[in-house]
Amino acid sequence: MRKQIRALIAKPGLDGHDRGALIIAQALRDHGMEVIYTGLRQSPAQIAQAAIQEDVDVVGLSSLSGAHKSLFPKVVQALRDKGASDIPVIGGGVIPAEDIPYLEEHGVTKIFTSGTPTEAIAKYIQKLIDPEMEVMPPPQKIAHIGIAVKSIDASLPFYKDTLGLELEGVEEVDSEHVRVAFIRLGETMIELLEPLNSESAIHQFMEKRGEGIHHIALEVDNIEARLAQFKQEGIALIHDSPKQGAQDSQIAFLHPKAANGVLFELCQHNHKE
Amino acid sequence: MKKKSEFQQQREKWEKDVEKTLARFPERKESFVTSSDIPIERLYNPEEITFDYDKKLGFPGQYPYTRGIQPTMYRSRYWTMRQYAGFGSAEETNKRFRYLLEQGQTGLSVAFDLPTQIGYDSDDPMSEGEVGKVGVAIDSLKDMEQLFDQIPLDQVSTSMTINAPASILLCMYIAVGEKQGVPMERLTGTIQNDILKEYIARGTYIYPPKQSMRLITDIFGYCQENVPKFNTISISGYHIREAGSTAVQEAAFTIANGMAYVDAAIDSGLEVDQFAPRLAFFFNAHNQFFEEVAKFRAARRIWARIMKEHYKAENPKSWKLRFHTQTGGSTLTAQQPDNNIVRVTLQALAAVMGGTQSLHTNSRDEALALPTEDSARIALRTQQIIANESGVADTVDPLGGSYYVEALTDKMEEEIEAYLERIGNLGGAVQAVEDGFMQREIHQSAYDAQKRIESQEDVVVGMNAFQVEEEINPDLLRVDEELEARQVSQTKEVRNTRDNQRVEVCLTDLREAAKTEDKNLMPYILDAVKAYATVGEIANILRDEFGEYVGT
Repeated sequence: MRKQIRALIAKPGLDGHDRGALIIAQALRDHGMEVIYTGLRQSPAQIAQAAIQEDVDVVGLSSLSGAHKSLFPKVVQALRDKGASDIPVIGGGVIPAEDIPYLEEHGVTKIFTSGTPTEAIAKYIQKLIDPEMEVMPPPQKIAHIGIAVKSIDASLPFYKDTLGLELEGVEEVDSEHVRVAFIRLGETMIELLEPLNSESAIHQFMEKRGEGIHHIALEVDNIEARLAQFKQEGIALIHDSPKQGAQDSQIAFLHPKAANGVLFELCQHNHKE
Repeated sequence: MKKKSEFQQQREKWEKDVEKTLARFPERKESFVTSSDIPIERLYNPEEITFDYDKKLGFPGQYPYTRGIQPTMYRSRYWTMRQYAGFGSAEETNKRFRYLLEQGQTGLSVAFDLPTQIGYDSDDPMSEGEVGKVGVAIDSLKDMEQLFDQIPLDQVSTSMTINAPASILLCMYIAVGEKQGVPMERLTGTIQNDILKEYIARGTYIYPPKQSMRLITDIFGYCQENVPKFNTISISGYHIREAGSTAVQEAAFTIANGMAYVDAAIDSGLEVDQFAPRLAFFFNAHNQFFEEVAKFRAARRIWARIMKEHYKAENPKSWKLRFHTQTGGSTLTAQQPDNNIVRVTLQALAAVMGGTQSLHTNSRDEALALPTEDSARIALRTQQIIANESGVADTVDPLGGSYYVEALTDKMEEEIEAYLERIGNLGGAVQAVEDGFMQREIHQSAYDAQKRIESQEDVVVGMNAFQVEEEINPDLLRVDEELEARQVSQTKEVRNTRDNQRVEVCLTDLREAAKTEDKNLMPYILDAVKAYATVGEIANILRDEFGEYVGT
């Protein structure tokens, strides 16, 4: 399984402006990284020590006091002295462009200047630490909730008449041996699944558990790359490559043991509404 | 049936017109809000203001001071134009000060470097790389003498951005005055001396809150007897806002901190009317013009009410919220830096419309470095143009009575008070700071703002919209890298030439006084300063006795 990126965000020197450092720390966390923030007033030696102790993949320095030319290279040196020159050091803050070459010559891998989106920094770190990995945006919404029913015709009145929802369409998906009905509910759908024959997974599901919620489908991009990444990470899959689904979509199911017994489907619509 | 008034009829007609227009041209956004997330209506009308003039507005110079603290405001005298400056050595900063005074600046504002602000001498290992960077390096009285060389202290008022070691720097100022023949009772100026916001947002704390509060009340007590014209604290929302708070949070946390200082002073045995007239405030001015104006007006009204009704102050001077304003450094962009001149102009105008007593306008290059002389001059000229050319200073509170501004003032007052109540329930500002309440609230607002910028919901011209290809490399002010070594050797020289026995005695006396809570430390610090004890030596004695605060 791919290891989570660990980052140390540090404030070298006496500078107390930590708005940027705190925002970067939270943004990297939101991108799935483990972030350790040192707090204010750290000496280069303390920062190097923390980086090694916490076994981080990258050190991010922030200074707005003009001391970057003196302090950033000292952090690089302190890491070298402790035999940890493999930990890259990046930095940001109030840093004039003309100082960047000097800092890079002194071992700082990259400087981000004021106005850089946090997204760009997170992507840079991900690429720096794990160049193989393409960065995947998280699923955007629930595409639909699949409900296993014995008969679509018998089930529809509840959705249409009682709830007053709109039937979007009914189609047969031969590969799955099911007939499906899509009922619109805001930005998502309810999908009623009726088995066409006893080979259908829905038939087997109902044999064991009766009618009820069968799966949750998540709307994603890059379904193929995502499946490859999941596979590499050891996530249990039912399908390791996408197949044709209803409504002109590519789908694949994850194994329920990947998500505490919930059956998830990834769903990529070829043309978006 | 009652006949509809002309007003009602016209209003209904307008509403119908709006519906028709909306059908064809929807508005730019579904809803409009201020930076503090206060909803902004399409139109404000007279009927929406519950207009209790006496209670809510009053006349300028009259309780509750919504319209300003003086009866004639800028018709008598413009606000004090006070540019924060300082870098490198005392000698260099002295030159910049004299330049600014020659250019028509009317007050000084000293920026100290970080070692000075955190009580380290320039030769302390902690100071490495920071000496002279964000302000002037002051180690001993010798540096302070150089800083004010040829600047008569009876003719300028000086604001010093100094907090944890405020007593040390104030004592140095007093000692310089004495050498110039200016007695301390004639000195005017302000020390920032606001430690609570250091824990919250700015980071230059040294001691734990309780001991820091003692140093502050010692200053209050000493100054009301000996330096009566000096503002003993500048309760600062500026840095809270820079750290990412909303306008409402800025005002609310600042007022809450102010109440904590009043409580501490009363607990130390002072009468409210003895010290309250010397309390000053320091706010930020960001881009959203009307919200900023409303913030200043609401803050004045709330403070007046708190001082009069809650603390039972009787002297009207205790009710008046006097404030300095600085334009918002964090609103400036590194991209297309000249655009910052325009931002600063809008912000400065908001401060003036809000009735500020003094103003610092930021320089266009502050997202990149300390300002060059050229940039600092344009910033000062911006204020001078507003004062002398725009005519906005020719009547008092020109926005008073605007349906929108009054409604927004009321709404901000309501939201600020809601925060004050929450902080009160947490046990007051000191407790709220120790619990990290304000820090968390500010961080959340900062992160939300960052996300709005990245999603382009908030447009920052030149940064996330209207960009150009450019090389961002204007002429910047560089602090001489050799300065640190020179400053270190000068301080060593002071240590070698002073009467070290005398220093030892002063420091020992200070240590003894620090051990007992009922001794005012100011006279001891003044003696030590006059003996050329350094900032670091004095601060370290108190570190030993008080301990150090460890940030969260």
